[in-house]
Amino acid sequence: MTEREPRTGDGRAPDVFRRGGWVPMREYRDADAVDFAIVGAGAGGATLACKLAEAGFSVMVLEAGPFWRPLEDFASDEEAQQQLYWLDERLSGGADPLALGGNNSGWGVGGSTVHFSMISLRFRPEWFQSRSLLGYGLDWPITYADLAPYYEEAERALAIAGPLRYPWGPPHRRYPYRAHEMNAAGLVLARGAERLGVDWAAVPLATLSAPRGKSPPCVYRGFCNFGCSTNAKQSALVVWIPRALQAGAEVRDLAMAGRIELDSQGRADGVHYRRGGRWRYQRARHIVVAGYAIETPRLLLNSACPRFPHGLANSSGLVGTHLTTHAGPGVWARFDEEIRWNKGPPNMAVCEHWNYVDTGKDFNGGYAFMSQGPLPRAWAQVVCTARPLWGMALREAMLDYNYMNGLVAVAETEPRAVNRVMLADEHDQHGLPIAHVEFSYSDNDRRLQRHASRFMAQMLEAAGGRELWPSDDTSHILGTCRMGSNPETSVVNADGRSWDVPNLWICDGSLFPTCGGVNPSLTIQALACRIGQRITDLAARGEL
Amino acid sequence: MSARYPGYDVLAKWDSPSFDDATRQVLEQRLRALPPRRFLSPTEWELLEAVNRRLLPQPDREDPIPITPWIDAMLYNGQGEGFRHPDMLPMREAWRHGLVALNDEAHCRHGRSYTELDAQAQDAVIQALVDGHEQSPRWRPLSAKRFLVQQMLKTAAGIYYAHPTAWNEIGFGGPASPRGYVRLGLDQRDAWEARAAGPARSPA
Amino acid sequence: MSIDRRQASANALGAATLGLTLAAVLMARPWSRGPTQTALRKRSSPTLGPPPAHLAGDIVHADASDAGQDRSAIAATTVPSRTGEARAASQLYLSAAMLAASVLSDSAVEHYRGGYDNPGMFASLAGAALALAWAARGARHPGNPAPALPFGAACAIGAAGIGFHTYNVLHRPGGLSWSNLFYGAPLAAPAALSLAGLLGLAARATGNCTSPPMRQPSGRALCAIAAIGLAGTSVEAALLHFRGAYHHPAMWLPVALPPVGAALLAVDAMRPATRPRLLTRAWLTLCSWLGAAGTALHARGVARQMGGWRNWSQNLLSGPPLPAPPAFSALALAGQAALSLRARDITQTETP
Repeated sequence: MTEREPRTGDGRAPDVFRRGGWVPMREYRDADAVDFAIVGAGAGGATLACKLAEAGFSVMVLEAGPFWRPLEDFASDEEAQQQLYWLDERLSGGADPLALGGNNSGWGVGGSTVHFSMISLRFRPEWFQSRSLLGYGLDWPITYADLAPYYEEAERALAIAGPLRYPWGPPHRRYPYRAHEMNAAGLVLARGAERLGVDWAAVPLATLSAPRGKSPPCVYRGFCNFGCSTNAKQSALVVWIPRALQAGAEVRDLAMAGRIELDSQGRADGVHYRRGGRWRYQRARHIVVAGYAIETPRLLLNSACPRFPHGLANSSGLVGTHLTTHAGPGVWARFDEEIRWNKGPPNMAVCEHWNYVDTGKDFNGGYAFMSQGPLPRAWAQVVCTARPLWGMALREAMLDYNYMNGLVAVAETEPRAVNRVMLADEHDQHGLPIAHVEFSYSDNDRRLQRHASRFMAQMLEAAGGRELWPSDDTSHILGTCRMGSNPETSVVNADGRSWDVPNLWICDGSLFPTCGGVNPSLTIQALACRIGQRITDLAARGEL
Repeated sequence: MSARYPGYDVLAKWDSPSFDDATRQVLEQRLRALPPRRFLSPTEWELLEAVNRRLLPQPDREDPIPITPWIDAMLYNGQGEGFRHPDMLPMREAWRHGLVALNDEAHCRHGRSYTELDAQAQDAVIQALVDGHEQSPRWRPLSAKRFLVQQMLKTAAGIYYAHPTAWNEIGFGGPASPRGYVRLGLDQRDAWEARAAGPARSPA
Repeated sequence: MSIDRRQASANALGAATLGLTLAAVLMARPWSRGPTQTALRKRSSPTLGPPPAHLAGDIVHADASDAGQDRSAIAATTVPSRTGEARAASQLYLSAAMLAASVLSDSAVEHYRGGYDNPGMFASLAGAALALAWAARGARHPGNPAPALPFGAACAIGAAGIGFHTYNVLHRPGGLSWSNLFYGAPLAAPAALSLAGLLGLAARATGNCTSPPMRQPSGRALCAIAAIGLAGTSVEAALLHFRGAYHHPAMWLPVALPPVGAALLAVDAMRPATRPRLLTRAWLTLCSWLGAAGTALHARGVARQMGGWRNWSQNLLSGPPLPAPPAFSALALAGQAALSLRARDITQTETP
């Protein structure tokens, strides 16, 4: 086990673009209240840190994990790169327990954007008013029109490589970079879609298809879910954090936030964090919690105090509740052609047909599905657990590695109070109570997944696949501190500002009242851009 | 089983642009620095080794891919997947408990320890557990099926297919940084990728 | 057919093609030292006879060594205008050779990337090599008639290539889509081979001393060919630079400069004046330099890919193509030659 030392400090932080290089970093003293202390340097926290620092605020970011150096730290090896994931123990139960760890939880500066699949899709506009327009779920306190300029800002910042014509959603400004060359796995989805008569598209990806700054374009090595050593992947680590540092933000890596303190007026005062083996306390005028949908409610629950006995900012009782995920039913088949699906990003082609068509469904909600490209270790674990297969039969099945192809859905689940994050009686190495997650599907969720499995199987067969078999999985965790227009039915308002504690904010996937049928990273980053702008506007008006 | 990619060796690319320093470093560790037995007792080790030999049999190899040492290291370091079912015991206890229960399962079914059974009987025990038909009362509170599939099998398969020998077996291109791939299409292969021998296997 | 059987037959065909090409090159002997210009003049003058008066446009003083010889004096007055055409022919041959060389190396690399899937992918190599060999020879000895076959073959193979490439684009999922235009077989590349063949044929006709002036290609037609070539290559560069998101400002150069050159060429082709404008010549020279600059910038682009030159075996395939920019130099040169011939045409028709 590598004993890690913090890398930021002494006025500098790692330069992710140069081996052994450093960039200057402004530092703030714990005792001096910074304008914004942000917990978590992922898709939400890093983006907001950049926006606030560039707007002139003093910003300090705490990140539990290390400050990665992609060019040096990232081996091309699945096993070794498990280091990217949140591997501290959590409990996960319920009728349909979620797999956590490497499935959806990142650790380190950049958070899950260091290991994600770079899928950068916008929400369907109607989803922001699911209840009013589509008759299910909840309405968001913002509309697509409110978020559209920030989607565009995020797409430009991330140099999204996307197709010139995207078949779904309202037309928007061209993606800054062109889509990548489609790999065989994606071509098979395309073939199947054309035979079924539905649209397909290249996935807009947050990895470069042409040089940008100090980054070369993607070389299609396929280890995207294990850290990009090319630096083509536009993670928060290489996009937002360098900008934030340049604008005067401080990042403290290997700093685990433990508890938020209130002052005597009931305003957030500062955050306790553990770094270098001892507990410290950073004072702040505002605190943003951006630890993703498990760690954010966990921190709030662990910050319970006399004023908020059920968890900080939890007068609604909703903190930790209404956890949603994306169900990931999968279907796999063998082909005559060599697919060699590990070449290139794991998900290069998408079909969003059932996100935008509402007829012919016996369920509410939508799903997208993508082509796949798992690496051997991950694939072996799918094969042995899904079928299940072991012994020589497992080895025989694995011999077909280069001939396999599959489709996995990103399928909406309903927000329900019973799906939640709570505290357990166990404690972690910092002495903090660990998270206990409970999750189960509703009948609607199951009907949706059955529909997805059937349709994907149809498409895979139409594309020439044989010996089909299914699998189950989930991806993403969302919704546990949802935003809304009413303090009784939400934890924060449309700006991510807590109803209970006016200088406490949330900026990550916990905000989502509903989860839609697409990957959340682009929406999280767009929300963060919007929250940054809102904070700037409020400050200008003296309403902060 | 005949070699699907005869003569292919991922490690032959060790000094090529397919490997970088970070990758070479971790693979050196995996290949040469086998961890010693530190967590499991000798009996537990023997039992686990016997199970792994059935889960991932390697009769075709003089130099089989080691699995048990890495599980021992995982348990010694306490580094799991980052989550467990609330009904499951914490990882270290779960494995110890599970091994005891598995051995007892062998006793229940065949009257002997697992390591004393022949291969066929050992397989029968595993299959029964995979099917969720445990007979031993020692399993509680673990679910035998969940322990065997989600812990033992999943871990063993992960370790097996994280080894270069397994990559040779399935024709995986291997690490590819900074090299990358240029030919991404159907039936296309970069010159340094594995070449399949003979026609593709026809479905049974 | 399995990948390996295909690969084996491709290898065999490749070997056969390269062998044939080598044989052709050996026959063409582009390296050989042929007769000098003087000897050419001496040889050609008896067949030509006294020059018509209207050909006495460009007078060059006779060589001192030839002074005192009537025939040589006649040759001295006959050859000067032939020298101009010889130079134009030489330029056209050189242009064809440069285009053919560009197609040969570009096609070799790109078809290698395509794994020589289709045996026809060797035809472009053979066609380009043959055209290159004969054009290179022709550039040295423009008066010595080269056979039409290599250039005609290049035209035909190029045309076939356009067909193959179009099929390749259309039958991929998505059909005629931006993605297939970006990553499928480039449509303009085989056109460059046909262009090389056309220019070779034009060079051949221009340099052929035995044919009377009327059967020579018109300067106007050649201006058109060069202009179309420049414009077409510019469109191809624009498409691929668009794929690269114009991430570097210099990527606009092959989009901005050559079309202006093409337009200037076209205008000059229509104008009745005798001398081509200095602007057109200067702009074509600029386009020539674009070829060299482009190659240097593409080399920088290859270095900028992951692993740089150390990863050359991948980056020469995935990075910007080094042999592509010289096509502009080739076409600019053809444009210069075309202008000279246009001027000659005008002089011939105007002088009584």
